[in-house]
Amino acid sequence: MKDQLKEIQERFLKDVQSVKDLKDLDTIRVQFLGKKGELTAALKGMGKLTAEERPKIGKIANDVRESIESNLTAQKEKFERIKIEAQLSMETLDVSLPGSKKDLGKLHPLTKTINELEDIFLGMGFSIAEGPDIEWAKYNFDFLNVPKEHSARDLQDTFYVADEIVLRTQTSPVQVRVMEQKKPPLRIISPGRVYRCDEIDATHSPVFHQMEGLVIDKGITMSDLKGTLDLFAKKLFGEQTKTKFRPHQFYFTEPSAEMDVTCFKCGGEGCRVCSNTGWIEILGCGMVHPNVLRDCGIDPEVYSGFAFGMGLDRIALTKYGINDLRLLFENDLRFLGQF
Amino acid sequence: MLISLNWLKEYVNIECEVDDLGEALTMSGTKVETLVELSPKIENILTGKIERIDRHPNADKLVVCQVNFGDFEKVIVTAAKNVFEGAIVPVALDGAVLANGQTINDSDFRGVLSQGMFCSIEELGMNQDLFSKEMMDGIYILPANTSLGQSVKSLLWLDDVIIDVELTANRPDCQSVLGIARETSATLDQPLGSFETYNAPESLDTIAEYLSIQVESDLCKRYIGKMMRVKKIEPSPLWMQVKLLNSGVRPINNIVDVTNYVMLELGQPLHAFDYKSLGSEEIIVKTTDDKKIITLDDQERAIDQSMLMITNGKIPVAIAGVMGGQNSEINETTELIVLESACFDKSSVRLTSKKLGLRTEASARYEKGVDPDLAITAALRATYLLEKIGAVEVIEGIIDIYPNPQTQAEIELDPQWVNRFVGINLSADTMISYLKRLFFQVREKNQLLLVTPPYYRTDILIKEDLAEEIARIYGYNNIPGTIMGGETQVGEKTEVQKTENQIKSLLVGQGYFETMTSSFTSENKISGLNEGLPDDMVKLINPLGEENSLMRRSLIGHQLEVIALNSHRKNPQGRFFELANTYSKAEKSDCLPLQQKKLVLSSYGNTDFFDLKGTIELMLAELGIENVLFVAGGSDMLHPGRKAEIFVGETILGEIGEIHPLVVKNFNLPKRCYICEISFGSLMEAKKYNVRFKELPKFPGTSRDLAIVVEENIPASSVLAIIKDNAGDLLESVELFDVYTGEQVPQHHKSLAYALSFRHLEKTLSDDDINPVIEKILVELEGQLNGRLRD
Ligand SMILES: [Zn+2]
Repeated sequence: MKDQLKEIQERFLKDVQSVKDLKDLDTIRVQFLGKKGELTAALKGMGKLTAEERPKIGKIANDVRESIESNLTAQKEKFERIKIEAQLSMETLDVSLPGSKKDLGKLHPLTKTINELEDIFLGMGFSIAEGPDIEWAKYNFDFLNVPKEHSARDLQDTFYVADEIVLRTQTSPVQVRVMEQKKPPLRIISPGRVYRCDEIDATHSPVFHQMEGLVIDKGITMSDLKGTLDLFAKKLFGEQTKTKFRPHQFYFTEPSAEMDVTCFKCGGEGCRVCSNTGWIEILGCGMVHPNVLRDCGIDPEVYSGFAFGMGLDRIALTKYGINDLRLLFENDLRFLGQF
Repeated sequence: MLISLNWLKEYVNIECEVDDLGEALTMSGTKVETLVELSPKIENILTGKIERIDRHPNADKLVVCQVNFGDFEKVIVTAAKNVFEGAIVPVALDGAVLANGQTINDSDFRGVLSQGMFCSIEELGMNQDLFSKEMMDGIYILPANTSLGQSVKSLLWLDDVIIDVELTANRPDCQSVLGIARETSATLDQPLGSFETYNAPESLDTIAEYLSIQVESDLCKRYIGKMMRVKKIEPSPLWMQVKLLNSGVRPINNIVDVTNYVMLELGQPLHAFDYKSLGSEEIIVKTTDDKKIITLDDQERAIDQSMLMITNGKIPVAIAGVMGGQNSEINETTELIVLESACFDKSSVRLTSKKLGLRTEASARYEKGVDPDLAITAALRATYLLEKIGAVEVIEGIIDIYPNPQTQAEIELDPQWVNRFVGINLSADTMISYLKRLFFQVREKNQLLLVTPPYYRTDILIKEDLAEEIARIYGYNNIPGTIMGGETQVGEKTEVQKTENQIKSLLVGQGYFETMTSSFTSENKISGLNEGLPDDMVKLINPLGEENSLMRRSLIGHQLEVIALNSHRKNPQGRFFELANTYSKAEKSDCLPLQQKKLVLSSYGNTDFFDLKGTIELMLAELGIENVLFVAGGSDMLHPGRKAEIFVGETILGEIGEIHPLVVKNFNLPKRCYICEISFGSLMEAKKYNVRFKELPKFPGTSRDLAIVVEENIPASSVLAIIKDNAGDLLESVELFDVYTGEQVPQHHKSLAYALSFRHLEKTLSDDDINPVIEKILVELEGQLNGRLRD
């Protein structure tokens, strides 16, 4: 019996040498280890053995089985590796060929700019308010403290659809609507489309976009205005950006200012973009005029606030270095595809 | 506005560099746009008198001049025609530099050494627009009383710097050298110089013998008349001309120049009438029924009753605040003049100027606002100057009509409030010193300041105005930056705003490019869309041309223009979208027009109806919108056989289709274009917000394919509806995977192949479960649509 087992093992070792592939290997596995295989057949004789011999032979039988199995496993791994290597040698790509074409559109550069600004202000606790493009003249002018006789109200400057209805010339009417409807504290921005009677050219368009902001609370100071807008400028144009506040005049605010930022092209050295001044005018701002607060039902002796407004088209233009406003509204794919 | 730095220096001591001055003024609120040195390169050009002119021995076109410089003489050869013996001219001597940088040296002119060159206005770098062509053509002849051997650079203020300042609407008081000088004085903390006015004792009222003045309109706030007897009308002195030139004003004669000088210096427009030409002993300021007037520039102007006129009691002699009339113009024979120093209503001047299309230095100043209290100072300043330069003899007495003198109210200011409001910490004394630098009067009373602004600061009305004055003198840049405290607020987008972003991202992911188009459209564009003009379009009263006269009601027209542009520019294909407002009239006239946000998608080139439809379906699915139906139909701009209205249940969302060939022609579009317009509001209403997790299935599903043959005209949606209605709860999904027409199905029939997936949540399905369901579907298809299983 013992010899028989040894013989099986030796014969296996001999036969396995001639195995050429996984199929042969499987045949040999069945031949030796299968249910009807030689080892199984040999072990059928176990019953005839004495109780003394049985464990010994059993151990030998197990060793033989394990030896054959491990040999088979090793052989299998070898042939699988050969097969994979054969496959790999057949399969080489020119990885420099282009990837298959996927269609991806783009957001308009103006939308990208608006999104960026919105994200900055959302992070500072502002909400986004919207209002109608076609607006009451009183919201566009009167409530904003614009004098009755001001030329901005003329037909030459503002589009009218009726005596008392205009295409808004700024998004400030949204602020008025918010102040009328909600109680302070308020922190809003209002991006949107605005209109003025300007013929279209490289820097003007009768249709353009603005974003205004408003903060109203107890104890809001001009210092808060500076800090908030300085932070905004740093977020938008980079940490190295400096700001400069110049006194200015707006009917909506008192005191009023214009904010310049260091030129993002030259960093303040002076270049064509900034007309060699090193600064770029970016927004108008100021402390909300007490007349405006009062007209909106907010007591200026209790609350104060600041407001700011900026031209989005111009920010998009300067940000991306676009030299002609008309490109924004032309929608040539070769333009839209760049952003 | 242009300000001469040299003139400004007569009022304020300015020691800093000019760039620093510009920056300081800008930072205190007077925005300096540019600083232009007039002729910085000029060197060694002196005044010389031509004593004698001789013919050149060797050249007919040249002459040889003996020129006297006071201490020395030089010989100058010239070809200039306008020189004469006795003329005093600018002479560039050996080594001189002209305005353009050219160096002048002694040089030989056909055997005669010229020791320099006479200079023209251009060579001196002066403002060429302000001289007549004759003056420009020759050598610049200086006045006869000019002293000799002087540097022309300093004489003609060629070393001046022209400061261009941008004034804000609230500061009409800065429209003058004096106004800017006041700001400079406050900014640099330097004293302000003074100026002289006519103050001879006026014991007599001689003027009354000549003139009376009446103001019959409240559009005239103040009217002052002062009369003078002309001694001689001649060019004004050089120092005056130079100041006018460097302020951008053309010198004319001594009388006119003084009126302009005072306007530039103090900001008060003045006008001088020829008394005799007035043809009357009265001036009446009023609106009139007259239809026309010929103005000083020889133009006939159509006037109307809204315009304020200066009349002689019968006819207009000037358009108030805009321009004088030709009928009362100063001329060489003028003996007596009436000097007008007045204040007119700013809106009235603005509207008159606008109607006439006539904008003058005077009207520009009146439009911004001229203070009535300035009128008297200006009248006396002009009188002083006219007398001083020897142009006139003053007629005693002055007529001053000033019905409602203005007063400045005292404003109460709490210094601690200023500190709290601005976010600074200044002492009351510092604030007082700032206000005094700006010529405000300040009294202290119980910790409060009582502040009276100077008469010309009509913009200062409330304490916030004073806070700005203090802040700007302190320096905005010295105010610290802080982040506001107060209640914490959450900044977040609304559901609508989030959905907009979601839709845009999805469409970008599907290869669509966002467009940005105008809100305007026109009747012409709409008629190109094969549609009648809707009667609820919002129309502009004052559009920029017919092409922009309506507010768009739909986004489709602009999308077609975008396609046309791109196709025309040889971009082979494109997919676009835009989410924007559309407008229509409100039903009630006392309401704002309606504004509806719409989403439009369009495509051309390498695309088809189903490509676009697939994107719409994907978007609707992403928004959780179910029960979407595409029903054949839609507007006339679409191909009649390739258009559908999109419904969610009973609500119409929008329409989709191929552009009608007629519209393709009208808009010059590529042959096949597709468009879909959806109401964003309806989309938001249909949107499902609550997404709930469904247990993943534990048991395998089973699937069946059904190819159904139906008549061609039966919509696939009907077949699908029957499948869904009869498949019961076991149906997990059903997808159309093939549409076939051809030989293997009867004529006018099509085969629709569906893959049906079934699944039970708690068991594995067997044929016994599925077969009855399939059977039921087939029976219903046959019964309702005469559909049958394909062989
Ligand atoms: Zn720059």
